[in-house]
Amino acid sequence: MTLLAVERVGKSFGGIQALRDVSFEVEADAIVGIMGANGAGKTTLFSLVAGHERPSAGEIVFDGCRLRGLRPHEICRLGVARTFQIVRPFGGLTVEDNVGTAAWFGADPAPSRAAAARRAREVLALVGLAERAHALAETLTLSGQKRLELARAVATGGKLLLLDEIMAGLTPTEVAEMLAIVQRLHAERRLTILIIEHVMKALMQLAQRIIVLHHGELIATGTPAEISANPRVHECYFGGARA
Amino acid sequence: MRPNATAAALACLGIAAAALPLVAGDYFIGVGLSLLMYVALTQSWTVLSGLTGYVSLGHVVFYGLGGYVAALCWGELPLAAIVPLAGLAALALAVLIGLPVLRVRGPYFVILTFGVAELAKHLVIAIEGQLGRFSRVLFAAPGLETLFYILLALAAAATALTAVVRASRFGRGLLALRENEEAAETVGIPTVRFKLLAFGLSALIPGMVGSVMVLRSTYFEPQQLFDPVISFSIVTMAVVGGSDDVKGPLLGAAGFVLLSELLWASAPQIYMILLGLLLVVFVVFMPDGLARRLFPQRHGGPA
Amino acid sequence: MDTILFGQLSAAALVTGALYALTAVGLNLLYGTMRLLNVAHGDLVMIGAYVAFWAFSLLALSPLVSLLGAAALAALFGAALYYGLLRRMFDGSRAARRLEANSLLLFFGISVIVQNAAALQFSATPRAFQYLDEVYRFGNVAITGNRIAAFAIAVLLCFGILAFLRFHVVGLAIKALIQRRDAAAIVGVNIERVQLLTVCLGFATAAVAGSLVSMTEQISPFMGFPFTIAAFVVIILGGLGNVTGGIAAAFLLGALETFGVALTSSAYRSILIYGVFVLILIVRPQGLLGGRRIAQ
Repeated sequence: MTLLAVERVGKSFGGIQALRDVSFEVEADAIVGIMGANGAGKTTLFSLVAGHERPSAGEIVFDGCRLRGLRPHEICRLGVARTFQIVRPFGGLTVEDNVGTAAWFGADPAPSRAAAARRAREVLALVGLAERAHALAETLTLSGQKRLELARAVATGGKLLLLDEIMAGLTPTEVAEMLAIVQRLHAERRLTILIIEHVMKALMQLAQRIIVLHHGELIATGTPAEISANPRVHECYFGGARA
Repeated sequence: MRPNATAAALACLGIAAAALPLVAGDYFIGVGLSLLMYVALTQSWTVLSGLTGYVSLGHVVFYGLGGYVAALCWGELPLAAIVPLAGLAALALAVLIGLPVLRVRGPYFVILTFGVAELAKHLVIAIEGQLGRFSRVLFAAPGLETLFYILLALAAAATALTAVVRASRFGRGLLALRENEEAAETVGIPTVRFKLLAFGLSALIPGMVGSVMVLRSTYFEPQQLFDPVISFSIVTMAVVGGSDDVKGPLLGAAGFVLLSELLWASAPQIYMILLGLLLVVFVVFMPDGLARRLFPQRHGGPA
Repeated sequence: MDTILFGQLSAAALVTGALYALTAVGLNLLYGTMRLLNVAHGDLVMIGAYVAFWAFSLLALSPLVSLLGAAALAALFGAALYYGLLRRMFDGSRAARRLEANSLLLFFGISVIVQNAAALQFSATPRAFQYLDEVYRFGNVAITGNRIAAFAIAVLLCFGILAFLRFHVVGLAIKALIQRRDAAAIVGVNIERVQLLTVCLGFATAAVAGSLVSMTEQISPFMGFPFTIAAFVVIILGGLGNVTGGIAAAFLLGALETFGVALTSSAYRSILIYGVFVLILIVRPQGLLGGRRIAQ
């Protein structure tokens, strides 16, 4: 069952064409990776799906609903959750309240403050932040804040999770931890995941299918193995054919 | 202080306040009026500025509008109709200007609100000028005691409003959008609607307070009723007393009314200089205000 | 409108514009380099005006000379403020970030202190003095000598500052700081020193504007507010941090105000200024000539 359909989507900012005629589908329960050099349009794509920007052309359909014209909070209510490339925690709130807020307002809102807090604690346990629950979010390390971003997105109860470079800036150990967390979340919560990533090793391990963007266009799609072997991808992304 | 202790303390204060007109003369009732006025104004202000972080430096506009409505309607309508009407007028203004005004962020919002209040003041002056009036005298105004009890009710309502909002889901949404507005939208908080609602709620009671105070002075004069010093006082009380919970504005208002009573008659400039000095000192050294220092909560308390 | 009146108003608009430009330049630099919205800026104008007044009344010193003293005094005040309070805002700590968010309130408090200290010291009665008020005629336009002097000095100073920003190495450093703060540090700009200089320069230019204004207008402790608002209108219209844009916008505002008041009445001057202020903040916060976005 197709959960997300991106149909011939284009986006321009002034004179710059950030995305041009991009189309793809994401099946429910799938993990789809998005790859591309900086400026390829990956985060723009997420902004369009999450509703922070409107497409200049094309349609985005999520779970049967057209997303055009909807505000971000409405799209969240429908079931789309996202993390930000540069983390945006609610710094002055505690870790638990950060996640609890998402549980209280998201796609599957908890009926009370206490219920939201309970759900928050469950999700925090899954990402390994349970001991920091009462710390202020802004006191966490980068790795902690990235996991908090993830926890907050998951706590909204949305079916589709948009992860934007969630491994960026992490040490190899932290990357491995994050990888395990994402895989666990996917398995236990039956989430559909669309993940932008530069850390190739993690992306190849995680994604079942990968989409490659280059200068705003979709140039390839396939399994990780297919993408690794794709000469065009090598040209655009790795800069030159493999020997 | 635990919530129940706070509520009990507030109830005692309320009872003591209610007894004031029975035991004190006009002078002290007047001081009480000032105190209640600023409690009502500052508590209402925190519903917007304390919770959302959109600091309003022009809140006097709601107070002034309420007073103007009261001055216009006095003699035509009974008191029981005028006070709510003044509140509704302020609410209407907030809803009218809210959408464009709340799109502006950070310090620009602060100076914008100041500009809006000054603009309103000059517009009212111009309107009154066109009507041939430079001030209005309000005859047969209600007695001091009546006004006192109305203001006590308003102060209590404002305090209750702040407490209720803070404990609610709406309040949590406001706190989240204060921390990061874009992220708040992403987790499902309808930020535009919530900001507008907070703005409106913060305007309602000040409008009513304005109507009471204009009747207290029995005299309507735009420069007085739209005086930016009132906006400034509200902000200073909130900064010094603290705006993170219900106790802060009470502390701030009490402190400043006391200070003003000591200094205003003899040296108003010294009072103002002290106000400015306190604002500066607290902004730099104690931005969370006194209430947090005197009544510390563990991190992540009931806010 | 007949040509005589038009000429007269144009001359007045130019003078007003030049003074607004000089006042706003400092505010623009303060904002551009340190993101500080100095709502006490108009009060610096007031200080400059009082320095000129007292220098003239007590020492028979021309404002064109005493403006140097006004500038020095204001620069000193700026330095004291910088070392005393503002420096805390830039050490990168959590306290520093909170302070930046509250810097506007900080300046508001300072404004109140300065205004009321002046009122306490000098009383609130407006004062004025006569200097260079012989009337000169240029064709159909009559203008007093003090206005010509004010215009000339203001314009000279504005161009001087533009040249400084363009050609002098410190001026370049200021521009670098406005554009990319972190990058400026990496290429060796001594941020602290440049910030201090900017504060002193910004405060000094405002005080000089005040000395010039005192020749043509009444002065009082609370005269600063309208200048603060006008300066904000100017820097937002011209694009925040865009000094050239600000100068252009100042003349635009001067024209708007002069002709606007002439077409309506002086009672509407405040409504005009505050109206424009509110409008540009809401409608086109990036200004007419580009700059930072301040609304979503």
